[in-house]
This record gives sequence, structure tokens and C-alpha cells, in this order.
Amino acid sequence: MMGTNRMATLVWNAKTPFFLNVAVAVLLAGVVGFLVGLPVLRLRGVFLAIATIGFIEALRLGVVLNLPITGEGLGLKHDADPLGGVPIILASLIAVLFIVWRLTKGRLGSAWSAIRQDEIAALSQGIFVARYKMIAFVLSALIASYAGALEAHLNFFVDPGDTQYGVTRAVQVLTFAVLGGSGYVLGPVVGALLVTLLPYIFAGAGDYINIIAGAFLIAVIIFRPQGIVGRGGLAIVRPAWWPRARVNAPSPG
Amino acid sequence: MLLRLDDLRRHFGGVRAVDGVSLEVEKGSIQGLIGPNGAGKTTLVNVVTGYTRMQSGRAWLDDDELTGLPAHRIAGLGIGRTFQNIRLFKDLTAVENVLIGMHVRRRDDTLAQLGTLPFFRREEKSRIEEAYSLLETVGLPRSVGERPADTLPYGDQRRLEIARALALKPRLLILDEPAAGMNPSEKQGTRELIERLNADGLTILLIDHDMRLVMGVCRRVAVLNFGKKIADGTPEEVSTDATVIKAYLGTGGEREVHSAPGATGVDEEREVEEAAASSLAAKEPEKAILDVGELTVSYGAIVAVRGVSFRVAAGEIVALIGANGAGKSTILNTLSGLIRPQSGTAIFDGFDLANARPSAIVRRGLVQVPEGREILARQTVLENLELATWARRDGASVRKRIDEVLKRFPILGERRDLSAGSLSGGEQQMLAIARGLLARPRLLLLDEPSLGLAPQMVDEVFRAIEEIHMEGTTILLVEQNALRALAIADRAYVIETGRILLSGSGDDLLHNPAVRRAYLGG
Repeated sequence: MMGTNRMATLVWNAKTPFFLNVAVAVLLAGVVGFLVGLPVLRLRGVFLAIATIGFIEALRLGVVLNLPITGEGLGLKHDADPLGGVPIILASLIAVLFIVWRLTKGRLGSAWSAIRQDEIAALSQGIFVARYKMIAFVLSALIASYAGALEAHLNFFVDPGDTQYGVTRAVQVLTFAVLGGSGYVLGPVVGALLVTLLPYIFAGAGDYINIIAGAFLIAVIIFRPQGIVGRGGLAIVRPAWWPRARVNAPSPG
Repeated sequence: MLLRLDDLRRHFGGVRAVDGVSLEVEKGSIQGLIGPNGAGKTTLVNVVTGYTRMQSGRAWLDDDELTGLPAHRIAGLGIGRTFQNIRLFKDLTAVENVLIGMHVRRRDDTLAQLGTLPFFRREEKSRIEEAYSLLETVGLPRSVGERPADTLPYGDQRRLEIARALALKPRLLILDEPAAGMNPSEKQGTRELIERLNADGLTILLIDHDMRLVMGVCRRVAVLNFGKKIADGTPEEVSTDATVIKAYLGTGGEREVHSAPGATGVDEEREVEEAAASSLAAKEPEKAILDVGELTVSYGAIVAVRGVSFRVAAGEIVALIGANGAGKSTILNTLSGLIRPQSGTAIFDGFDLANARPSAIVRRGLVQVPEGREILARQTVLENLELATWARRDGASVRKRIDEVLKRFPILGERRDLSAGSLSGGEQQMLAIARGLLARPRLLLLDEPSLGLAPQMVDEVFRAIEEIHMEGTTILLVEQNALRALAIADRAYVIETGRILLSGSGDDLLHNPAVRRAYLGG
């Protein structure tokens, strides 16, 4: 996310052709992703996530709610439908998935999977860790902004509130990846489908849907920490008081 | 010379981890690098490979200057390395691990991948074939290729890490403790592998604690201590060098190096065996407060302690000595209930330690002062001590006890309101011991109390240990500084690769050539 689909809103009002809008949005997002990546990519793991989320909020509260071009907090409306509905979105999904899938098969992908497992070991194999992290960061900014631009045109309305482009949405997108499994291209797709469809599947549960969704997410994290899509079976979870036959602690001596 | 290091320096705050080291590694040779724990070996490797920035000095690989280059560039120039605590890409298969090692040699195919040109698929096939043949080079069967790296047995993971490093086509291979935690036959296998790779023309820098391995395969050995190179020469020269012996065995206070075992060098091998035979018969106490029988402890596939039995009687100081990785700390951690033994017994005053929780063990009076002290650096001295007693209900007597302990270590009393992290290493060790005393130990386990301390601080810490002992606390001491430990111990056990090699009174062992052998592999 990285606040980049905000770029879509910037070009929303311009009476320019649809494809030009999207292209400008995506390019802008790439540039912003790069600039944000410079300081932020020095961080790792949860700190990286916090810094990124901080940037989203700073952009939303500081810029989007105040600039005339973004509607000063009232949001932006659009009447026409240049998109022509869902087919173009499905086609885009397939195209993006194909590109990402092919990239994971090459040298770039093998560098990424090495970095994901162990940055220090990746360095020892001559992998320029900082560069490949930046490529991943900018690429995800491009993809997110493309998705954002499409969504803006599909909904006829860009809501500057938290739920569409703020922290809530960022966390939701993160949930897609964690739940579905971030090690495979299809993982986040499965995660997104599940999270989006759960409310419909459990429509009868009414307000309890959040409890069900929460319990489901926790169960996945405990029993399939690698996500739904991924290698290996269910994790064997043993309570701390359960007697253990073997110990897998590090460092002898 | 393939690798040249000129006056490399790297300090961390006040710690001189690498303090002006120069070293040359000849092309086609196996160069050994040894030194006691904390000598700076791994820091030196990290400086050479670009993981840690050097503060001064220069380094070259052939004609390429390495000074100031980032780690990935240095790897790209042809230095492959393995890590002390294996760093494989755990969830990837063995072959995938090796394929990643070919990153530098592989052309960038990002755009081609989008077009899925068949040409690149063919290249991929030849890469996979090469990866399999590298697995075979290090002695792994092709069948392990498809298995995720972390499902391989420990010894195979070490081999796989070497295969991955070889995939770089390195000019120099740095092996950081490749035999750590291995049993004797695995060690033999590692030794053969190193010799075979070298015979194929690869230059190797070997860091290991196992002296028999290093002395056996290296033509030259350099010795580090406190960040400085103290010796460099053939294995024979180094193992008889007085400075090296002192660095490994430690100084024994008034007992000087000239009394160090085996220094006179008669028919050593026979002497060692006789000494081992006679010492093994040394008397165990009849009535023991701690009775350990056939204790075996494993970490996954690694057996760290193999059927160890010993006893400690009330009022004794008993020392467990041995080189790094011998399994000493594992024994203590098992007694404290932090690790569950695989088999064997450990009885403390009629209480079964093998199945008890750590907290129950402490309440019984068996208290461990952990290796590396484990104090809370940001809290004050007093807060550290207070936190150690937070579970106790008897507030008034706790307060009194803290005052007593602060009196016992006057330097801590003076610095009670300073943050513990600002104390010197020796003072931190005192604080860790003081914290242990608050739990009213009947048996105090001390794990490497002299680790990383300057000689005069070691004196002070050992004086404190002796005083605590005089006051009636039984002590089980684990030390690398063997001469020092033997000087105060009533009895001692020499541990080597998880077994008790020999035992005897402190005095006996002090004059026993087998002690030196356990440390220097001489």
C-alpha cells in the first residue's frame, strides 16, 4: 500500500484519458516508493512495517486532508465509468500475477528468497541485499498504486477516511499476505479472497463475524505460521508444560 | 600471497576485538586461526568479509583491495565463507541453497524471465546439474537435493553450507568452526573434506576450537588472544609456544607457566595415557550433595553431553574444565532445569533435577550464575539485585540480605545507583554472583566467571569465589581458564567433546599432561 494509491487520487480530477491517469499514478508511486525506501529500508521486520504505516498516516493526515486537489478531506467523486466494470480488473490481476510469478523464477527471485530467509547469509553469497530490497519495495509500490488507481475508478469515489487508504487498510493488506502465505505468489491472493469472502460465508453470524475471523486468523498463525499456501504441514504446537523428549536449543558449549 | 591483512583494527567501545592484526595466507595452503573464546577470531573473519567495518588497516585478496568494500562485493571477489552457527536458507531445498550460491556468476535474466525464453531454461538445467555435482563434492548424496535444508542431519547441514560457499567459485574459503558440535567420526569426515578441497587447489582459512583438527590439517597456524596475534608458525612451533600455552590454559595465579603440564615433553603420548588411567581412579566422595549419573543431553541431532557421571560433596569446590564446545555449559544448564536431559540422572540432595522446573530447582538452593553474566544493563546495580528477589514475600529479610551482599562486594555497594551496564566486566561478574547469592544457594553453579576479563580482574573474581566458598557455599565451577580453576578446586573433571576425559584433585590435574592435550590437542 504505502500510501501510494493516493497517487491515483491526485490525477482523478484531471480530465485526461483513463490510461494516462493510471500511468501517471503508477510512475509517481514508484518515485515515492523509492524515496521512502531510502531511509525506511534500513529497518527490518516489524520496525519496517511500523515506519511504513507511519508514512501512510503522515501522508493521509498531513497532505491528503489538506490539499484542494485531493478534496480536502471530503473525498473525490467521479460520475463516468471509464473502466467498464470488472473485466479489466481481472485481466490486470492475471497480468500482474504472471509478471510476479515469472520474476520469482529468475535470478531476481532467487535473490529475494535468499534475503527473505537470511539476509546475512545472502550477503555471503554476493547478493546486493540493499538493492534487491529496494527493487521489491518499488515494485510493490507500483503494483499497489496500480490496484489503487483501478479501485478508485471502479468505486466512483475516493474516501480519505481511514478504512479505504489508511492504517486499517494497510493492516488488512498485511493480513492478506500473512494469512495466505507470503512465500508464494498465490498466497496473498488466497489470503485476500478469504478475508474478503469471510463476511459473506458467515453472513448468518451477524456481529460475531469479527470474532470468527479473528479466531481463524489466530489459528492459522499458530498452526500454519508459513500461511495457508506454503510448504510443510500443520505446525505441531506443544504447550510449555508438556514434557519434551528432545530440545532444539542453539549453541552447545 | 593470496590474502594479505595489514594491521587490521576493530574496537567495540572499550573492547579491542581485533587490535592490529596482520596475517598472510599463501595461495593453495590451509591456514589455521585459533585462539581462546573471545579472542577475536570471528570478528576478524567478519572484518575481512566486510560484515564488520574495519576501523583501520588494509586488506587484499591477490591484487584486489578489500578495504572498505561491502560484504556482497567481497563475496563477489571470491571469498566464500561458512558461519559458526550454520546459516542456511532453512526452508529452501539443499539444491536451491547451492543455486543461490551461484548468484554472482549468473547473468541477470529478469527481462528474459518475462518472456520465458527456452534458452534460459536450458541454462537453468545446467546450473541444477552443477549444484548436484557440488553436493557430491562435499560428500552429500544426490537424494538430499530435494530436502529442505533444516531437515538435514547436523553434519550434512555443515557440508551443505560448504557446498553453497563453493558455488561462488571462491578463491579463498573461510571456514568458521566447521567441526563445532560434531562427534569424532563426523570430525574425521570434515577433516578429509577440507584436505580434499585443498588438494583440488582451494586456499582455505580454517578457524576452529578443535586443536586436533587444526593442528592436523594446517601447514601454518596463527594464534589470536585479546585481539592480537600472539603466534604464527607451523603447528609444532605454535603448540610448544609458551605464550600460546598461557593463553589457552590461563595463568594460575602464583603457579606459573613453567609448571604447566607436559612443558618438559618426555614421551608424551604414553605419559598421557598413564596419567589418564591413574587419574580416572581418583576417589569420588561417598556422600554427595549433587550426584550426576550417565547424563546425556542433545540439541536436536547434536549430542553435546555423552553419559557424564560425577559427584559434588557439600563444602567442595569442583571444577569442570575443557575447551570451548566441550559441553560444560550444557551440563550446568541441564542441572538448572533449563535443558531436559535425554537420559541419565541428576539428583540434588534427594531432589530429582531431571524433571523439575527451573524455579523449583532454585528454591531448593541450586543457583546458576550464567555465562556472559546476563545482567540488566539499563537497570541500576540495586535494581538488578531487587529484581532477583521480586518473588519473595519476606520484604524485611530480603532488604537485610541485599545489604549483606552489598557489604560482601563493597565495590557494588559504592556503585549501587549506577546503571549495571556502566560497570566494568569484572564488576558485572561480581554483580551476577551477588545476584546468585541472594537466592541463598547451597550449591552455586558458576559458568565461565573469568570470560573476557583482564588478568587482575580475574584475580579479584576468583578471590571472591574463594571467600564465598569459605563462608560455606558449595561451588561447581565451569572454566576455560584451567590453571586458574584448578588452583582453587578441590577436585576437577576434564571434559572433552561431551565426555569426562579424566578427573582428579586440582593439584594432580595441574601437573597432568592430559590437561594440556585436552586444550591444545598436542
